[in-house]
Amino acid sequence: MIALLETLKAHPPFSFLDKTSFAAIEHNAQIAYYPNDTILIEPHTFFDKLFVIIKGMVEVNNHEDELIDVYRIHDVFGGIELLKNEASLYRYKVTEELICYEISHETFLKLCAANKAFKDYFFSSIVERFEMLKEKREYAAMSDLMMARVDKSILHEACILPSDMPIIESLKQMEAYNAASVIVKNPQGYGIVTDADLRYYILHQQSKNLLSLSDIQSYPVISIEEGELLFNILLLMTEHTIKHLPVLDKEGKVLGVLELIDLLSFFSNQSHLIAAQMEKASSLEAVIDAAKRVEIMISALHAKGVKSRYIAKLVSEINKKMYIKLFEMIFPKSWHDKCALVLLGSEGRGEQILRTDQDNALIFEEGFMPDNIEEVTQHFILALDQIGFPRCSGNVMVINPQWCKSLGGYKEDINKWIDHQNGESLINMAILFDSAAIAGEKDLHTRLREYLIAKTREYPNILAYFAKPVEYFESALGFFSRFVTGAKEHQNEIDIKKGALFALIHGVRTLALEHAIEPTNTILRIKALNDIGFMSKEDASELIEAFEVINSLRLHSQLEKLAKGKKVDNYISIVEIGKLERDLLKEAIKSVDSFKKMISYHFHLSMVG
Amino acid sequence: MFEKLKRRWNRKHLNDERFAFLFDEKVPSDEVVVFDCETTGLDPQKDHIVSIGAVKIKGDKILTDQALHLYVQQKEGIAHESIKIHQIRNCDLHSAVTIEEAIESFLYFIQNRTLAGYYLEFDIAMINKYTKKMFAITLPNKQEEVSALYYDKKISTIPQGNIDLRFDTIVENLALPRLKAHDALNDAVMTAMMYLKLKHTTKLK
Repeated sequence: MIALLETLKAHPPFSFLDKTSFAAIEHNAQIAYYPNDTILIEPHTFFDKLFVIIKGMVEVNNHEDELIDVYRIHDVFGGIELLKNEASLYRYKVTEELICYEISHETFLKLCAANKAFKDYFFSSIVERFEMLKEKREYAAMSDLMMARVDKSILHEACILPSDMPIIESLKQMEAYNAASVIVKNPQGYGIVTDADLRYYILHQQSKNLLSLSDIQSYPVISIEEGELLFNILLLMTEHTIKHLPVLDKEGKVLGVLELIDLLSFFSNQSHLIAAQMEKASSLEAVIDAAKRVEIMISALHAKGVKSRYIAKLVSEINKKMYIKLFEMIFPKSWHDKCALVLLGSEGRGEQILRTDQDNALIFEEGFMPDNIEEVTQHFILALDQIGFPRCSGNVMVINPQWCKSLGGYKEDINKWIDHQNGESLINMAILFDSAAIAGEKDLHTRLREYLIAKTREYPNILAYFAKPVEYFESALGFFSRFVTGAKEHQNEIDIKKGALFALIHGVRTLALEHAIEPTNTILRIKALNDIGFMSKEDASELIEAFEVINSLRLHSQLEKLAKGKKVDNYISIVEIGKLERDLLKEAIKSVDSFKKMISYHFHLSMVG
Repeated sequence: MFEKLKRRWNRKHLNDERFAFLFDEKVPSDEVVVFDCETTGLDPQKDHIVSIGAVKIKGDKILTDQALHLYVQQKEGIAHESIKIHQIRNCDLHSAVTIEEAIESFLYFIQNRTLAGYYLEFDIAMINKYTKKMFAITLPNKQEEVSALYYDKKISTIPQGNIDLRFDTIVENLALPRLKAHDALNDAVMTAMMYLKLKHTTKLK
């Protein structure tokens, strides 16, 4: 088969086709080349084939020459017109040298007749296509999982003993190593002794005069070389019903032992495991170990198509357990009922998935000021460093005295912020308003938030100033719904945080402050705004959906950057994502833009300087 | 003048009138056949053809729907080294045809069209080795070397430069999609894309 065709298989709607259909395409499709500015289809003319882009770009304009759509690599067009037998409404023009597949009208209709899912794709709405995309991702993740290879991190240290060692002696060694099996070193190659062999020993040691390891070992041992596919290993272990498998390096030396149970847990969802591990952790090292596995869990869940808001929830649940552990281990007992550990910013809203930064604070009871504050807070931040939380660039951390003081101290701050509104004070207010107490005497935090809300009720004028930053950044969508991309190294990328996400979160935050809404999470805040009747159900679900789409695409791009070892940022490439995702993203940004307008109007932002 | 003479000489030798069409003077102007042979080695004298991939270009279209992909039966097993390159294993050759059948199918496929390819000289020499034996002729078709097309467009920008003519370099330079598979048909398709792109390019950066 022509390899170009092969790559189509990974993309909907072609991912729905079977072998026979692909053979049909192979025997009927042609590859066409079109230079720049070729008009493929004029308005009011009919498509006579389906176009599948291999490389290049096609722009679609209506009769007023407004840009309607852009098609890029792997995109398909002409399908719906062919199915409905309708003339095209638009002009399709090549704007970047095009190499494409052309599938004839008859072949396409035959494929549609034989494959319902394939045909339905062309009639499906954007939302339905989004669901299909998730399925595709699941498929991709499955293959990723299949492609994972064995490396040292999953192995147990091998307990290697000589074959002439007396069995009783070897049992002592096994216990010392805490090993589930013994690798037996023979003059020629390795053998293995597992619990089944030991059972044999106990039953037959007298009758058969069993003395040394060589008498009971399974020899030669089944082993694999490092770098083998985990999936193949699973097959091998199932085939031979073995639970312990030595892994050898290229020279045939034992690297370690792979246990079936670890392999199976690798293949299954890890969230439960991490949570349990976190709860059981009795040392700082154990907490750090468990926390380090969260990232793997995130990729796995995302690949399975789990909505980012649920991933965020799961991550913040695990993080909550982690913070409680850290609090118990690092903060002296005498502090526990006299201070509150508080998370702020995205962590406070329970929306941080990947570790982008840490924002934390301490609130002390009035009159309680231990001398070793600096030592303790440093220790706490160092532990977070080790887990992999980058430090907050704005220095919103417990090691900053501004975010580590008494309740009264914070209240004074709030008074100052309200008296002298400036950029910094408004940011601090926003940060504090998104805070959530995680450990210690949580009542301290509740009292602080109540004070903040009461104060803003007293001075409602502040809300307009508070809301103003919604307008600070231009939308990521410009004229004619074109994406506004970044400069130089961010060519073909949009900054989704500045271009949409910030306005959404901040707008919702301001409304939450106005209406004294308790939850800090953006989705919960939107739901609450709907409950009190401020927002209609349609508007609320549209905004939540937009938030979900943006977060999901951002997470996707961040995970990819992480996998490539690049810096995790807020840029989304609009070239690397598929057409579907681009359309969804546009819809989402449009929703945010109209929400922004509503905020501007509601708080009369045009009157605020 | 000399070319014409050679052509007539060649025609006179043809001993199988079924293939007279090869010498037909009326050539379809916008049609080209791009082809590639996978062989057991790089010496046309000693080595054999393992497979032939060919695809027609008509205008600006690559007619992949009429592609030709033939595997040739081997007298000796394929040497270990060339398996590594082509990834054609001996077991892939079950549906293979004899070299004589392959050459005939190939000639019927190309007719009197212009032939194009990457390092075409070698592939032509491989085919000629058999056509000489079978029909006492060499391929009379017009030939276009894709790397030469590339060279011409490139040399106008760097007149004194050393031009890298490796297949992969050309693919990259022309910003063509890269195909993973390395078999005769896929290479022919790749070369066809190069050919089309170069036909539309006046100058290369």
